[in-house]
Amino acid sequence: MSYLELAGLQKRYGNSVAVDDVSLSVEQGEAVALLGPSGCGKTTTLRMLAGLIEPNRGTMTLDGSEITKLPAHKRNMGYVFQSYALFPHLSVGRNIAFGLEERGVSRGEIDKRVQEGLALVRLGGLEQRRPKELSGGQQQRVALARALVIQPSVLLLDESLSNLDAKLRDAMRHEIRSIQRTLGITTLFVTHDQVEALTMCDRIAVMHRGRIAQIGSAEDIYDRPATRFVAEFVGRANVLPLARDGQGRATVWEQLVPVEPAENADLFVRPQRMRIVPVSEPAGGDTARLTGRVLRSVFVGDHVEVLVEGAGGQLTVEMPSGSAAPAEGTEVAVVWPRSESRVFAREAS
Amino acid sequence: MTGAGRVLSSLAALVYAMILAPIVVVVMLSFSADSFILFPPSGYSLRWFKQLVGNGPLLAALWLSVRIAAVVTLLSLAVGVPAALALAKGRFHGKDALASFFVAPLLLPTLITGLALLLFFSPLKLTATLPGLVLGHMTVTVPFVIRMMTTALANLPDDIEAAAATLGATPWRVVRRVTLPLATPGLIACACLSFLLSFDETVISLFIAGPRASTLPVEMVRYVEGRTDPLIAALSVVLIVATLAVVLVVERLVGVARAVGK
Amino acid sequence: MTASRRLPLLLIPATLFLLVVYVWPSLGLFRNAFNEVGPTGAMVEAWSLETARTTFHDSFTFELTLNSLWLSAVATLIALCLAYPVSLFLFRTDSRFRGLLAVVAIMPMLVSGVVRVFGWLAILGDRGLVNTTLQSLGLISAPLKLVFNWTGVTIGLAESIMPYMILALLAGFGRLDRTLEEAARSLGASPFRTFRRVILPLSLPAIALAAGLGFVLSMSAYITPKLLGGGRVFVLATEIFEQATTNTNWPVAAVLAIYTLVLLLALLVVSNLVARRLQR
Repeated sequence: MSYLELAGLQKRYGNSVAVDDVSLSVEQGEAVALLGPSGCGKTTTLRMLAGLIEPNRGTMTLDGSEITKLPAHKRNMGYVFQSYALFPHLSVGRNIAFGLEERGVSRGEIDKRVQEGLALVRLGGLEQRRPKELSGGQQQRVALARALVIQPSVLLLDESLSNLDAKLRDAMRHEIRSIQRTLGITTLFVTHDQVEALTMCDRIAVMHRGRIAQIGSAEDIYDRPATRFVAEFVGRANVLPLARDGQGRATVWEQLVPVEPAENADLFVRPQRMRIVPVSEPAGGDTARLTGRVLRSVFVGDHVEVLVEGAGGQLTVEMPSGSAAPAEGTEVAVVWPRSESRVFAREAS
Repeated sequence: MTGAGRVLSSLAALVYAMILAPIVVVVMLSFSADSFILFPPSGYSLRWFKQLVGNGPLLAALWLSVRIAAVVTLLSLAVGVPAALALAKGRFHGKDALASFFVAPLLLPTLITGLALLLFFSPLKLTATLPGLVLGHMTVTVPFVIRMMTTALANLPDDIEAAAATLGATPWRVVRRVTLPLATPGLIACACLSFLLSFDETVISLFIAGPRASTLPVEMVRYVEGRTDPLIAALSVVLIVATLAVVLVVERLVGVARAVGK
Repeated sequence: MTASRRLPLLLIPATLFLLVVYVWPSLGLFRNAFNEVGPTGAMVEAWSLETARTTFHDSFTFELTLNSLWLSAVATLIALCLAYPVSLFLFRTDSRFRGLLAVVAIMPMLVSGVVRVFGWLAILGDRGLVNTTLQSLGLISAPLKLVFNWTGVTIGLAESIMPYMILALLAGFGRLDRTLEEAARSLGASPFRTFRRVILPLSLPAIALAAGLGFVLSMSAYITPKLLGGGRVFVLATEIFEQATTNTNWPVAAVLAIYTLVLLLALLVVSNLVARRLQR
């Protein structure tokens, strides 16, 4: 049995289901991201784990003992809120000390651990300040230190970086990841930002409509999406409608493609996995190939996006910047390894 | 297009003059040297303030009103704040119905409440007693405290209390260490306004006050009915200054318009 | 959270208090309306409609009703005409002193009613501000009778309900979007036409609600009619008080109180219905 086990968790509000049958196993010291769009049930799952919401069904087990019915204050979960939820009437030091005071830790020990906590998030010397006198990034660190000093069984981070500006967010990502690794603390990280999920966690659980759509490593999720939703939500994908020719073979843009024919389905290919080659270059045995005309090329800093138009639509190819982009109007061939093709059925709408 | 425009501003200024007129007139009159109400006064003096200090019945009524208002405020907070806490933080059936029940007395005229209390208190010999007046005023202040504090507590961010819980604070510790400290400005404002409400309460007091226990507004009504001299003006100035002080405190803490409005 | 299940226990003191000191006395008021008044004037316990019958057969009750309704209507109308520009001003002004101005506007609400009545006596009395000014200007020879009659009561009442109506109007102005006004102006409407065609129609629901509130407050006001009326102004409120205290005729007071309450409820329902109709 894993360190943390969620089994069949469900949460209903009236007739709407926020979380519908979530099961998840997390090993000790592991960092797992709950990734999904807003309303997918990821925050509800985290709040149930913290004991802030009671599930309608299902169980939660921590280190072998069931915690499903345990009230929030007995769970020993370090929760970092999206809003930080610092106590505005207490100083930074008292904020961090709060959980230790509630545990009846001695004064000397509290002071020592508050100092350690402040040092860990590099805020030494600010313990007398009020939260509102701190910047957003500093408040974020206080919230993190407050959750860490209680030596929680699990660290829960709820969209913790979403209120920071882009640059600071990048720095905090690495900082939190390194603290998590150093302390070896089991972490659940809720986010709608795939970069955050991909960079900060060992495994990612993609959530969709109250369920876990796929769980796996960053590579699994990105290269081998299990469902159409995962393929669309994580990273970018060219979605090419599949059709059949007279002999029942699969076609895109009225050109044959090497995949199993299917009704009402689309072919998914990542733009980074595609290459542009001259039309004259023959197709290899293990590559797929489509021809079209270059509509335009857009320079986006670290890469160039080339928009190619064919008989039945458009697709995007990402080329490393520096490589020569084909001129607009050129007839080109787009090729990709056969193994990079994914076929997903269209959802009945 | 910004601001209110010249026509509207002038109209508003006129109405403001009318709103302030009675208060300005009372203040000027309190320094009158005349023995009757003449405006503008023929001369100015402090004679009515000196008279006020020597007026036993009015001073006794003032002292009684202060004591009643203090007791009413403490009791109303003791009864009202827990109810507000339950209404703001609890999730249970019939909550909305209970909330309307608690504020219903604010919608009924005090004329009716006063009559009902007179009929209720008379057989119990509670009219013209301190407990009777306190209970009577509380029919106004308890619903007021519940309404104001329910809003104040419901507006506190939920996450802050949840944070305290995840850090190991039991629900009662969360109330003591987080909810109540955060609600303190609202609590003080609420206490100030309850005090004012009780202190100024006239109609209910008129029904249930008697010669043995007469609050200041009741004594003032009787005085104005009987005589017309500037003594009441001097007393009014004292009250206006005190009221202004309280209003400023409340304004600094929460904003008056928000506190008295729905 | 398990503890939130015990939270409703906190409602017990307040509930008990209101049941004993509010609900029970209110029921007692209803009970008293069915008692009778004996020949000596003493109250007789009964379950009859005799008191109600004699009260409503008395033409004085009818006169009181008309007085109350007329007084409230005039006072509400005056207060509305004064409160509307102030509210609109407060809603639109971008002055730094907006907060202070709002406090001043609702100031009368926070100053004891007796103090304000006293101020009006000094303004409207025989030797008050208005009469001495007019006399010194030679416009009148004898002082105008402005207090201890309907004029004084109407003015005093209008002033006392104004702050409540300002708050009600301000709350109702939420629908007034500044961009609508700007749109009207950009389409060529003059400020006055903009007011008539955009602002006024949009604020009609707020006006209906404020008027309903002002009317109800006027109907149930006691201090102002009593003191500024000088014993010459008779309305339902003054009569209820007289019957209850001076005459100790509780059954009649109870009947009149319930009657007034029914009138008030009807008025509130009507003003809410009108406001809702106008909202569409």
